[in-house]
Amino acid sequence: MNARNTTGVPSEGMRRRRFLTAAALGGATIVGASALGGLDADAAFAAEPSLDPAIARSSFVEGRITGITGSVLEVAGSSGGHARVQMTNVTSVWKVRPTTADVIEVGDGLYARGVPMPDGTVAADAVWVNIVNLDTTIRGIAKNRVHLAHGQHEVVGNILADTGASYAGRGLTSDLSRLRIGQSAQVLGAWRPSDDSVDVVRISVGH
Amino acid sequence: MACGSTSLWAGETSWFCCGNSWGPCGSAGGGACGNCQSSAHHGAWPNASAACFSITRPDLCGENIPRRGCGSVMNVRHQCSGATVCITITDCGPRTKDWCGEATCCNGACRTNRVLDLTPAAFSAIGNLSSGKLPVYIYE
Repeated sequence: MNARNTTGVPSEGMRRRRFLTAAALGGATIVGASALGGLDADAAFAAEPSLDPAIARSSFVEGRITGITGSVLEVAGSSGGHARVQMTNVTSVWKVRPTTADVIEVGDGLYARGVPMPDGTVAADAVWVNIVNLDTTIRGIAKNRVHLAHGQHEVVGNILADTGASYAGRGLTSDLSRLRIGQSAQVLGAWRPSDDSVDVVRISVGH
Repeated sequence: MACGSTSLWAGETSWFCCGNSWGPCGSAGGGACGNCQSSAHHGAWPNASAACFSITRPDLCGENIPRRGCGSVMNVRHQCSGATVCITITDCGPRTKDWCGEATCCNGACRTNRVLDLTPAAFSAIGNLSSGKLPVYIYE
């Protein structure tokens, strides 16, 4: 079960489970995080206040992953610059769906939210890998994919077994039969660097 | 300009990419104001200009959203968590008219109609990108 509610607020159960769950990366604990009041990064994120994304010290990282060294992701920013993202026992990972850090690959795109550490890394509270949320128009519909126009570019959307659709503001359904060519569609999904297509997690069409 | 605390609007916010980026977002460009960046605390407002309003038409959903142009500053607060981010308007959007009646809820309280788009940096400061939408209060 996904422990996050539909509004993206981590549930109390999820917070507690994160703290109690063994490290996905096997001992990624960072010791001596003075920026977090002397706590290590894992413990800091497990504590109630540090999960508040509005904390003043929150950092954001965007870019492509150029290397993975242990539990650290090397990230090249799209506007230049370089960042190092430290995965911890409590980092939540999304890649098509909530998952674990072992699915992260060099070449993936990334958004990460975390806390700056004294060593220059960003200890991640959450990383979203290859996530996109595109304003598109449906140009074609096939059995396992939809063809989308995004600005002046065409994007192929791969339909997954659990792709959901929302029609005119209503709730999510597995019924994709009401998609129509020409409709505006917001596509939440995951970009595939290998072929530049997008795995469609949720497609929302308007009026 | 500092972020204020005077209530301006409430509704749904989604997120979008702009500026230099990867994947399909790489071609998004700098938005209507020319300086939108995914990695900055930026946002898109459906009445950033008359031309913008003619595209987004929030009035068709009963949202008589006031004009706030490029460079306007807003404080955006998650309806339930209280997490807040200060943003600068750098683009036009979302197309509110396409989503009339759409609601996003938390703790049993819902906000209706898409009235704001946030960059990934701004959206992730108050919620999780995988949720796609958040119910928010907007201040200036």
